[in-house]
Amino acid sequence: MSEMNNERFEDLKDAYVLGALPEEERLSFDDYLTAHPERQAEIDELGAVAGLLAFYPQEQEPSPELRSRVMEVVEAEAEPRRVSGRSTFGRVGDFLSIRNLALGAAALLVIGLLSWNVMLQGQVEDLRGQVEDAQGQVQDLQAQVEEAQEQQNPTIELEGSWADQGANAQVLSINKNQAILVAKDMPFVPEDQTCEIWVISNDVPKPSGLFQPDPNTTATPITNPITKADVIAVTVEPAGGSEQPTSAPVLLAKL
Amino acid sequence: MPERGRQYLILADEDLISLVETADAEAFATLYDRHSRAAFSLAYRMMGERQASEDLAQDAFLKVWRSASSYRAERGSVRTWILSIVHNRGIDQIRSQASRRRRQEEMEASAPRSQPSEAFAETWRNSQREQVREALGTLPPEQLKILELAYFSGYTHMEISNLLDLPLGTVKGRMRLGLKKIRDYFESRDAAVPR
Repeated sequence: MSEMNNERFEDLKDAYVLGALPEEERLSFDDYLTAHPERQAEIDELGAVAGLLAFYPQEQEPSPELRSRVMEVVEAEAEPRRVSGRSTFGRVGDFLSIRNLALGAAALLVIGLLSWNVMLQGQVEDLRGQVEDAQGQVQDLQAQVEEAQEQQNPTIELEGSWADQGANAQVLSINKNQAILVAKDMPFVPEDQTCEIWVISNDVPKPSGLFQPDPNTTATPITNPITKADVIAVTVEPAGGSEQPTSAPVLLAKL
Repeated sequence: MPERGRQYLILADEDLISLVETADAEAFATLYDRHSRAAFSLAYRMMGERQASEDLAQDAFLKVWRSASSYRAERGSVRTWILSIVHNRGIDQIRSQASRRRRQEEMEASAPRSQPSEAFAETWRNSQREQVREALGTLPPEQLKILELAYFSGYTHMEISNLLDLPLGTVKGRMRLGLKKIRDYFESRDAAVPR
């Protein structure tokens, strides 16, 4: 086998990312990469292209039994790993006797009750602050929409079944980290349902705002940044929103 | 679902993998639920048979569980990492078998349809899958064939050369052109290659 050098690296890199090198050549290629870490990014990029082939096969559903089998092993291994990696708090416990533990527990209970009281007071204050913030946000929102429209900030048109029915929805970028969804002529949604905005990156949808559509214009802040998102979508969810989408998107924009 | 369990659902994959490093089984279960379908689909395409595919997917997910600390965000997404584990272990298994499986086409034809679930995630994944299929659809058949033989069936470039009775240089050239064409497909649409 020829010695690995730059020329050979170039010759073999496509086969390498496809997993098509014989073992000996692959190890030699790995060694070369270790010695030339500056080439790693190139291989990662090429590997991402080859990795797209993983999405080519027809989708298959694994059996529920597979999940059970995997989780059985994982849960059995989780406990020993947690024990072996115990926190300082856990290790301190080893030095305490049962009696000391009981005394400690009583003391913790008292401290806990005091802390709870303080925490509740803090939560009340937080809630007051949140109500004031929300009132301020509503006032700011109208101004932001008007300003963004005046400045002709970038907008993204959403498509989908509702757009086909005449609804008009746009994502309006206010600044680098802030965007608003402006919607009008939206279909009626019953009170026990709501529209939920999703910002999706790497297939993970993040809940990013709720709104109740009406025939007039509604403007809703998108609560997650959209700069690294792949898609913005809107679904109809039960009132109060969902943590994961439960229905197909009615509006969607690929970024 | 318990409150804690629901909290995992909104975490990004990168956050979940950090929790898996601390032996958090629930975080792992969330990752499993997100990616098991794609992982199993790839395993099934490689192994061509349900039991072997489940064994491969199980093996790969246990590797994810035990080696979460080896994930490097700068080298790609968690999903890509999981699929690369399935792929690498699949190739190892295929190569260690005495006789290769030649049933992909039959299995494709007789494969059961996927179960309806998670309408939303389904829509999004399908749209991404369609994009990849479209990109691969731009490849001349002789290039696609070589990529498939290498990626899914675990053949080395030399084995492909013998199998198709082509010079080794031609096989390497088609691999290179095939990958370049996929990348060009995304670049021509001002889109990054999904990672």
